[in-house]
Amino acid sequence: MTELLATYDASSVNAALLTSSLLFGIGLVGFLSRRNMIVMFLCTELMFQGAALAMIAFGRVHGNPDGQTFVIFILTIAAAEAALALGLVVLLYRRRETLDSEAWSELKEC
Amino acid sequence: MLSSATAMLALAAFASAGLVMIMRPGARSIRLAGSVLGLAGVAGLFVEVLKLASGGAGIPPVLPVLFGAIAIFGAARVITHPRPVFAAIYFILVVIASAGLFLLLGADFMAFALIIVYAGAILVTYMFVLMLAQQSPQDGETSANWYDRAPREALSCVIIGFVMIATLGQVLFNPNEEARRVASSVQGEVQSDADLWNTLSRMPKHLKSIAREKLQLSRDEPITFVASDPNAVVQSDGKDHFVVVTAQGKDQRISLSAADLPMNAQVVGTTLVRDYPASIEVAGVILTMALFGAVVLARKQVELGEDERRVLAGLSRLSVEPESGGPR
Repeated sequence: MTELLATYDASSVNAALLTSSLLFGIGLVGFLSRRNMIVMFLCTELMFQGAALAMIAFGRVHGNPDGQTFVIFILTIAAAEAALALGLVVLLYRRRETLDSEAWSELKEC
Repeated sequence: MLSSATAMLALAAFASAGLVMIMRPGARSIRLAGSVLGLAGVAGLFVEVLKLASGGAGIPPVLPVLFGAIAIFGAARVITHPRPVFAAIYFILVVIASAGLFLLLGADFMAFALIIVYAGAILVTYMFVLMLAQQSPQDGETSANWYDRAPREALSCVIIGFVMIATLGQVLFNPNEEARRVASSVQGEVQSDADLWNTLSRMPKHLKSIAREKLQLSRDEPITFVASDPNAVVQSDGKDHFVVVTAQGKDQRISLSAADLPMNAQVVGTTLVRDYPASIEVAGVILTMALFGAVVLARKQVELGEDERRVLAGLSRLSVEPESGGPR
């Protein structure tokens, strides 16, 4: 069984690459279209997830552990981003008593 | 007969149309039709991609497709569910499904690290903030806030996403790239084993414990490697790998089998610590700074009255009563 899993499998790499690009695309759509600030940041996590999956898949293609190593750094950045973003969201929520990002639309220039 | 690229574009367009129909708040039947359309589009994309990989032959790989489909379903629910708490729970589903894909791609350690760090730590933080900033719906009859139900410009957002996916697909799944990937994987099969043996060479303590075990020596028996290149202790004579060690005054050759190859976690750990030590330090600094930043950002702002502000500025109080100050 482990041998079966360990042998390179072009179709599972392709399935993973398709999944990763769709995760990235869906995360992008969600980030642009959702109004709730927390869900917007959840969508950036979706995009991180897609990037990590692509890293692992390409590391598999080239038989190189660096791909897996870099996912650790992606995880680190995701954790740092979550901490900062959620701190920001709490701050903004306290100011306006709403999570709606439109509440801050007067920040734009015109 | 459509070419594969055109077919994939059309399927992605179908899936995007389905996504728009799910995102728009509307009648249940429209949303149902949208999910059927999206599901069909994604299924078609998977079929096309797998055809590209195997040339149309071979058994369909059930597990990768299953995990991929679960991940995409979860992602679609994250961006369409009207209640943020459920969106976060669906994100956990995405994390678990991608951890399954990680396992299938041979990244055991990262799969479990992903579940522990993402589903266990980051998502708990999200849940916590969701609870902290929870608003009861304004009008009693609806179950979600209006800004969660109505997406902003669903159609144009999905068009942007579609362009993104189309570009990514052109890069990832064009025939040239596919051929290059297969070629490098054919080398990769050989090379990845060589890589693993190299990694073993860079783990002298582990190698020594293997050698001691094979020679049935005690744990504190001194042992040294005999090799012309100290960075390539594991040598190969063409068909099998071996190390030469000096133990108890004589040289001995110990042959190594595939069972002695390092496990995934050992490989990742060795690469991380030996090749990227500075990056680990930087990652630690980033995490610390994020911690400080979050504390500073989320600190409660204390509202100061006119009197307190004057006192802080070194001026005398305006009001007559001396003990009127609130919390400072």
